[in-house]
Amino acid sequence: MPSTGARADEARAEFRRLIAQPGHATDNARMAMETLESALEEAVLERTPEIDQTLADLRLALEQDDGQKLGGKSAEAARFITRRLAQLLDEA
Amino acid sequence: MTSFLGRGPRVSEEQKKRIPPGQYFTEKWPVLHYGSVPRVDLKTWDFKVWGEVDNPFEFDWAEFKQLPRKPLHTDIHCVTRWSRLDMDFEGVAIQTILERARLRPTARFVVIHAEQGYTTNLPIEVLDDDDVLLADIADGAPLTPDHGYPLRLVVPKRYFWKSAKWVRGLEFTQVDKPGFWERYGYNNNADPWKEERFSE
Repeated sequence: MPSTGARADEARAEFRRLIAQPGHATDNARMAMETLESALEEAVLERTPEIDQTLADLRLALEQDDGQKLGGKSAEAARFITRRLAQLLDEA
Repeated sequence: MTSFLGRGPRVSEEQKKRIPPGQYFTEKWPVLHYGSVPRVDLKTWDFKVWGEVDNPFEFDWAEFKQLPRKPLHTDIHCVTRWSRLDMDFEGVAIQTILERARLRPTARFVVIHAEQGYTTNLPIEVLDDDDVLLADIADGAPLTPDHGYPLRLVVPKRYFWKSAKWVRGLEFTQVDKPGFWERYGYNNNADPWKEERFSE
């Protein structure tokens, strides 16, 4: 069952606001990911296997080893994955 | 006789016929991936083959280098619209792997697993082609880290994201399991001649 209540609605809205705001896709995705992970840890939103998998993919897309630049496809991957997460939040 | 496609170097009429719709010709080999370039230690590197096979197996780098070698001269096409012609790869033909694995009749698809959890997927009939290679050499030199060192798959008849860099294993499956980009909007079939870039 999807989470209900004001805090759940706020968490979903905040995630969607962060990924839509002006700025670089990877920066926005990092902020949105932190917000979502906090909401999941605090049980404001409920985990689903697909959300966990999608978050894991997003972490990989944003992973930046010391001394390396992010890959050229990281921004596109971040946009694609956060768009999918925004859809999945309705089930969280 | 040369002509010009709008950007990039001049291409001949013969070369133009080898460039799929919506692509431009480049002499460079752009580097495109997400995240970081993995650091690979050949001492611990291995490659696994499992799933719908009668003979699951794995090999290390020394064993890979003992397998029969095959050269491949081919063109490659990236979904980001560049095409590079006349590349020379060298490695191990996919048929060498398939013969050793002994695919079951139930094996209809393959999930290609790479470093950092990256996956992509293909039907068996696309994987089992004469021009599909596990390549460790490109244009006469070992792959560079950002092009997939030590080993990448090469599937020239599909957009190049299907040619996974840093490949570490093949999982044969009964059902199709979309890979990383396929899950997030890239076309599952990825035929450059049909411009199958995105799923929507």
